[in-house]
Amino acid sequence: MPAENLKSRPPLRVFCVEDNPLIVCHFEMMIEDLGHVFAGSTESFEDLRNQADAATMDCALVDIDLADGPTGPEAVLWLKERGVPAAFVTGQEPTAAQHRNAAVCTIGKPMSEASLAAGLAVLAAALASARAGNPKLK
Amino acid sequence: MKALLPEDELALDHVLVMAPYRRDADYLQSLFAENEIVVDVCADPGKIGDCLADYPGVLVLTHEALTPLVVKAVANHLTEQPAWFELPIVVLLHRSSDDARLKAELASAWPEARHLYYQRPVAPVELISGVQSALLARLRQRDVRDHIALEVELRRELNHRVKNILASVNSIFELTYRNVDTLGEFAEDLRGRLTALSRVHSAVFEAVDEAVSIEAVVNLTFEPYRVRDQNRVSVKGPVVMLTREAGTTLALCLHELVTNAIKYGSLSAASGTVSFEWSLSGDNPAELAVIWQEAGGPPITAPARSGYGTRYLKSALASMFGAKPMLTYEASGMRCEVAGRVSRLAWNP
Repeated sequence: MPAENLKSRPPLRVFCVEDNPLIVCHFEMMIEDLGHVFAGSTESFEDLRNQADAATMDCALVDIDLADGPTGPEAVLWLKERGVPAAFVTGQEPTAAQHRNAAVCTIGKPMSEASLAAGLAVLAAALASARAGNPKLK
Repeated sequence: MKALLPEDELALDHVLVMAPYRRDADYLQSLFAENEIVVDVCADPGKIGDCLADYPGVLVLTHEALTPLVVKAVANHLTEQPAWFELPIVVLLHRSSDDARLKAELASAWPEARHLYYQRPVAPVELISGVQSALLARLRQRDVRDHIALEVELRRELNHRVKNILASVNSIFELTYRNVDTLGEFAEDLRGRLTALSRVHSAVFEAVDEAVSIEAVVNLTFEPYRVRDQNRVSVKGPVVMLTREAGTTLALCLHELVTNAIKYGSLSAASGTVSFEWSLSGDNPAELAVIWQEAGGPPITAPARSGYGTRYLKSALASMFGAKPMLTYEASGMRCEVAGRVSRLAWNP
């Protein structure tokens, strides 16, 4: 399984911003299968802002359309300001492309374990370089 | 090409007149006004662009108005129009003019307009009926515009929903696949979950404004099991309307609860029962509490490891209610309860 070659790296705490509970549940299992930690989820940008603690996550997977509208890009910016790199996970690649400066990468839906693994590797690299640039985030 | 026009209801329903010779403009203005046609007169050829920017339904020009400046300004206006747009232009010609040459010139200058020519003197009744039918044609063009916009919007929304449903089906497949030991079990679990998804989809689609009551979701979820178990499932609660998304999530959660009860819980025993009740309390926002309580089944214990059903139930209810559900495995029967703000759930009429 792909989890084997990731064992040497520390696991990532992965947060999900996604409004379909089925997809959250699916992501949760895939994240754990890859040897990482599911750090929770919210269904809207509003909940992310009000309830989530950026210190409890290393990176995030964010859909474009959430329970409070197409607020995914705002959620990604909010996370970025708090030192949390995020990837879009969406079927709306054109919208994701418009906001590509904010997100580290875009993973198409439906997401496979292989595309999640590739996305998490990009997120891990972004996290490492962000922390190298700002030691306080370590 | 402009994609949008002003949403102003007045757009396209007035006549713009340019008639610089003597009292022509006054005459035309009063003629149209007598026939209840809204008129705008452009007295200054330099302002023709501004007047056209108000989107007249019909443009009326006398022969004297056809200066190179005006012909060019009208041509510019026409090239900026969207595809459905065809401006009718009424030209009032001199009796003694070289019609053929002028018509050929205007046809090449204004290729995307409908030209109507009248030779002066023109009978008022003839001019009025020509302008009125041109205005009607214009209003039909506006309907076409509205239909095109609506269709684009509907196609976008449909695509979005189909993608969401396929994503749900994909996740159900993957999650079911991970949690079964045999192909028979896989087929049974997958069939049950997809059936629950399609039943709630039909219910929401048929409902007014895509809102569905908790009671309707509960009934459609229990219906397949009621034939066998006439009085074993009791349901009680006030009218609460759910959005499409919340209704779908509740249906899938209840499906997991009822199949679990049939396999391992109270409904696996001949005398076991289930009650599902919900209640509202407080206001602004009100809190909705739901309780699933099994009784009379075989003695149960908490499962050693959480399967997909339980994990989905916990995470879906948590995201739907904004509060963690409580699952307890008392020897007498399994209990699942959760309470949260109604504003997250209800479609407000």
